[in-house]
Order: sequence, then structure tokens, then C-alpha cells
Amino acid sequence: MSKIISYKDKHVLIIDDMADMRSSLRNQIGSLEITSVGVAASIRDALELLKQKRFDVILCDYYLGGSTDGQQFLEYLRTSKIISRATLFIMITAETGYESVITAAECLPDDYLLKPFTAETLRSRFQRLMEKKLRLHTIDQLHDKSAWLEIITACEEIIAVRDKYLVDAMRIKGNALLMAEKFDEAMHFYEQALSLRAMPWAKLGLAKAMKAKGNREQAKQLLSDLINDSPNLLSAYDLLGKIHTESGDDVAAIAILDKASNVAPNSLTRQRSLAHLAERTGDFKRVEQALSNVLKKTKNSPLRDPSDYVKLSGAYLAMNDAAKAINVIEDAKTTFKGTGELRSVSAMEAQVLQKTGKTELANEALDRALSGGSTGISEELAFALAKACLVNDRAATAGDILKHVLQNNPDSDEVKNAVSTIFKNHGGEEAAKELIERSTQEVVNLNNEAVLKAKSGAYAEAAQMLTEAAFRLPNNMQIVANASLSLLADVLMNQMDAIKVKQAKDFAVTIAKTNKEHPKLPEISRFLKKIQTKYQLETPL
Amino acid sequence: MSFADIAALTIHDVKNKLSGIATVAESHGDSKTVQAIFDISDTLTRLLIFYRSEHGMLRLNMNTHAPEDLIYELAANHYGRPEIQIKSDLSQAPVLWVYDEMLVRMILVNALQNASRYAKSFIIISAKAYPDHLEMSILDDGPGFPEALLEEDYSSSPVSQHGTGLGLLLAQRIASMHVNNHQHGRIELLNEHGGLFRLILPA
Repeated sequence: MSKIISYKDKHVLIIDDMADMRSSLRNQIGSLEITSVGVAASIRDALELLKQKRFDVILCDYYLGGSTDGQQFLEYLRTSKIISRATLFIMITAETGYESVITAAECLPDDYLLKPFTAETLRSRFQRLMEKKLRLHTIDQLHDKSAWLEIITACEEIIAVRDKYLVDAMRIKGNALLMAEKFDEAMHFYEQALSLRAMPWAKLGLAKAMKAKGNREQAKQLLSDLINDSPNLLSAYDLLGKIHTESGDDVAAIAILDKASNVAPNSLTRQRSLAHLAERTGDFKRVEQALSNVLKKTKNSPLRDPSDYVKLSGAYLAMNDAAKAINVIEDAKTTFKGTGELRSVSAMEAQVLQKTGKTELANEALDRALSGGSTGISEELAFALAKACLVNDRAATAGDILKHVLQNNPDSDEVKNAVSTIFKNHGGEEAAKELIERSTQEVVNLNNEAVLKAKSGAYAEAAQMLTEAAFRLPNNMQIVANASLSLLADVLMNQMDAIKVKQAKDFAVTIAKTNKEHPKLPEISRFLKKIQTKYQLETPL
Repeated sequence: MSFADIAALTIHDVKNKLSGIATVAESHGDSKTVQAIFDISDTLTRLLIFYRSEHGMLRLNMNTHAPEDLIYELAANHYGRPEIQIKSDLSQAPVLWVYDEMLVRMILVNALQNASRYAKSFIIISAKAYPDHLEMSILDDGPGFPEALLEEDYSSSPVSQHGTGLGLLLAQRIASMHVNNHQHGRIELLNEHGGLFRLILPA
């Protein structure tokens, strides 16, 4: 063997619901001279251990006895970032069927083992995986920093050597080109890879590049072909669904996700996106179908999510089945008791109770939902609160909540559409339009006022006004950019203030994160240079 | 629930129970029982894969792999006879090849189990790259395959008088599902100072 890597110092976590299997695995790990072994009989125990310390390897059985399987658990761990890229996840299965189901899902385990297996097999796999981790270590670290350009260079070095990590490096490079928004290069790169061999990952990458370039039709065609050839490639369905959604064709998106659900009926993420789309198209029967499934699969599992309950209850309400809607809410209240995640549940409860004529109880529930304010909350909760307010005759509060969301997401059609949908049953399109216009106008007025102040020489006042607004509306890039500029103008015109300069630079970083090409960024740089010169600062700003 | 689902769940249960027995046997140093359990498990896996292939439900999961990884892993194990030395020859192995690793592993394990039954002292596993195909072979120093088996058409009948039929039939089917540029994979049985099993996969 090329290199012998020591894994004696590795921390390994075993997850299996069967006591026999746990002790069998423990013995095998022990025979590799690994001494740090955590053992969990359930997802709950595993999460507890993962909270306490970092593990290098997780060995998890696909069947975990309960409603949640190993693949769902892996997806949960990766999406909620409970484990980093450095942690190896090995799935153990009893039969080969597993592999064909999850093939090329977004979230693959690092390896899978077909049981029973010998300690020697386990040792060989550890060796193989650790060697790969070692080879790709630098890239993994760059990944955690999202340093895409450096990743591309690092991959090119491996590609040039043409060792057994060639294809791994190619896949990572393609993805890095997409992440760095080098779409033309990505397209060229994938086309070249495809000319060597028609591998599904390269077709998928090419489709992503086409989509990013705005060639939706081309991407759709390529993805349809890809799904035909590789019906298990779930990420192809997901991408095609996304393109349909972006083209405003929710119905086609649902059809594609349905097809994907037939291939992998256990994917929670997919059932949730199905429910989300179906809710938008008003297909509440389908929302019920998808979410009942999710509720059943996450029952008593840490993977349960209050928003599933809220959406399901909402679907029942929309189908005029208040009794079932109440049941789901009651279920949610027991399930999430004491977790502090109940605001959206209370908001839904307020809607359902109002519908059944229990006005007083409804208002109590709404007060509970509203306590804690409406700044810094998720859009989903904001919409839930607004709906509950409208149903309970608190239109002014609803307006304030939605106005804040609109002002914080000035360019999002999705938010505007959601606001329109909410108003459909309460004052109609006109009320939505009025609110959207008022929200925009308020921001325009604020900007104008600040500009006037600056022109009259009140730079500090203008800066303070805009900075406050930027903190209130951190996603409104126009406000954030103007706040940055006004702070710098204040420093330039009045006196050097390191705190203000730092704040201005922080704002600029926020802008660059969403759009590196934002037109205000060069202006901010120019201001920084002028400040540098004026105050003769030694370290460049 | 379809038959395949129920079969999969049943096999899962049986394999779990077998794993438990294997653990106990392993702790007693009873390698014969351990090997018997692996044989039974492999037979069950083959049964399920055979069912899938009969019903058009067997799909390949084609990916790029390093043949050396698989061969190291296979050579690290023994197949019921620890006294047989298993050597690997990677001198002409390609760095990477495209195939379904799990199914190719199953084919090679089956061939290794068979070879270790007849080998006198050693087995050699090798991978050799040709311009248009990869040859993975398992050579033993035993008496070789019986003439009847060399002439037998194992690609159609799963039941063979030699008892190795299902393994060979599946090996042939899975090899043949590996296609590139209209070239299909195949298996070959030969006698060359012992039994020689060849798995040929297109480039």
C-alpha cells in the first residue's frame, strides 16, 4: 500500500438500533486499535454525542428502527451543518438496493458497506477514505472558507498529476467554477469533460452552467435527457424542478418533484419542497399528502419541524376542515412543548380558532405569537403572523410586519408574490399593491431625506439615519450601500473615526457577499482611498 | 409492498441475525462458521440481485474508481482458508476505470470464494489495462475448472450441476450491462496451470 495512515487517534461514532450490531461494530473498530468510540442506539443519542464532541468517522446503519432512516439523518446532519466536511460518514446497509436509490443524491455518504463485513474490509475502507481525505485536505479547508479561486488552482494541480483523485478533482473544480460565477469557463470545462466520457455528473454541471447563463430551454432539454438515461439521478430532477419554478411554472415543477418522489419516496427535503409548491398553486390535497408523510416520518424524531405542522394545519383550514386543522395544532403544541419554537404554531392556532368562532381564544393565541416582536424573524414566520393578524382584524399590525419584509427584500419577486397571495382574501390585490408601493416610497423618502441632510452639511446626521435603517433592513442593499457611503463622507468631511470606517467597511463586505459587481462598491473604494490620503494613514484601508 | 421490498426487508433481518452469530463465532476464533455466514449472506444478496435483474430492476451505478482500491480490499481478506496466500498484481493496472464497484466487487468475491476452495497455496488477483478494455482476473494454483463447466453456457441457466451457476450467470449479466461504444463486458473461464477467472469491462 502506498501510504500507511494511522487511524488510532480517530474518533468514531457508531449508530445502530440493534445491540448485537453495535457490539459487533465496536469489536471490529477495536481491532483497528481505535480506542475513542462513541456508541448510539438512536438518532437522539447520536445528536447528543455529536453536540459533545467532534467525530472523524460516523458509521451509521441505514435502518434505524424508528421512522427516520440513515439517509434522512445524513441529509439533516449535512444541511444543518452539525458535521463538517472533515467528518466521514459511512452508511451500513444489509442489501445493495440502498445504493441504487440514493445514487447521486445531493447528499451522499462518503462510502457504504454491505453487511456483514470483516474487520479487514473495514480497515481497507478506512485506509482508502483517509488517504483521500489527506489528498483533498487543502481543498476541504478552502471549501470551508468558500475560497473558490484557490480551490480551482488546487484542483488543477491534482488534475495535472492524473492520479486516482483526478475525477474527484474535476468534479470539485467544475463546482468551484460555478460557485465563482465563471459560467463560460464552467461550460467549456464540462463540455470538455463530456467529450472524454458522457458521465452524468458532467451533464448535470453543464446544465447548471446553462441555467446560470440564462439558457433555460437548453438546460431543461439536457436535464430531461439526463433523467431519461439516469433515472436515479435525483439532483437532476431537483434542478429541473427549480428551473420550472423560476420560469413561473409551478405545475411542471410539481410534476417533476412527483417523479423524483417515486424514485426516492423517503426524502424529506423533496416532500417539503413539494408541499411548498403545492401550497402556492393552491393544491392543498397534495400539501396534505406530502406533509402527512413528513409528519409520520419525523414523529418523535429530532428531525421534526414546526413549520410542517403549521403548513399542514393551514392546508386543512384552506380545505375547510377546521377539526383536522385544530388536531394538527394540538399535536404540534405537545410535540414542541418547551422548545421555544411555538410562535408560528400560535399564529396558525389564532387563524384556526378565529375560523371556528372562538374569537377571544384566537386573540390570546395571536398575542402569544406576536410577543417577541417582528424584527429579525424569518420571512416564513412574518407571513404566518401577518395572516393571523389579518384574520383577527389587526390589519395595521399585519401591514407593519409585511412592510418590513418588503423593505428588507426590495428586489424579491417571491416576497411580493407572497404578499399578494396573503392579501387575496383580505382586501384583494389593491391592498397588496398599495402596501408594496408605500413600502418602496418610504425607503425612497428616507434616502432623499438623508441626501438633503448631507447636502446641507449635516453628514453625521445623514450617516446616523442611514446606519439605523441599514441595521433595520440588512438585506436592502441600496440602503446598506448608502449607509456605507454616508459614513465615509462623514469621516472625510469631519474627522477620522475608526469605528465609523470599520462599520462602513462591514457594510461593503455585506454588499460584496450578495453582489460582487454592485455599482456602489467602486465608489466606496474611492472614498476609502481619499480618507487614507487625507488622514495620512499608514496601514491601507 | 412488492415482493422485492419484502425480500429486501427479510434479507436485512436474516443478515442482521447472521452478523450476530458471526460476532460470537469470531470471538471464539471459529473462522469456519464466520466464513459459512459470509457465504450464506452472499447467496442471499445474489438471490435479490437475480430477482432484480429478472424484472428489469437492476441498474448500474457507474462511477470512476481506482481498481487498486478494490483489489487491495479483496486481497486483505481470506475466503475461508487463511492458509492460502492472496497476492495482487497491479503492475499493469489503470489508475482509474468506470464501473459499478459494488456489483464488480460481488462478482470478484464470488470468484475468490470459488478459487480458495480449490487453490493449493496461492491466488493472484490482477488488473490489467488494454486500449479498449480492463481485465480483472483471479488465478489459482488448483486443479482448474472441470471441462464440463468450461463448455457450459452459464449465461442462460441459473441452475448448474456444479452449484456455481447463479454466481456465474449474474457475473455474465452484470459484465454485459457494462457497455461503452457498443462494447459489452463479459466473463471468461480458462485453465492455465489452475483455474483462471476473467472479468472483462469495456473502456
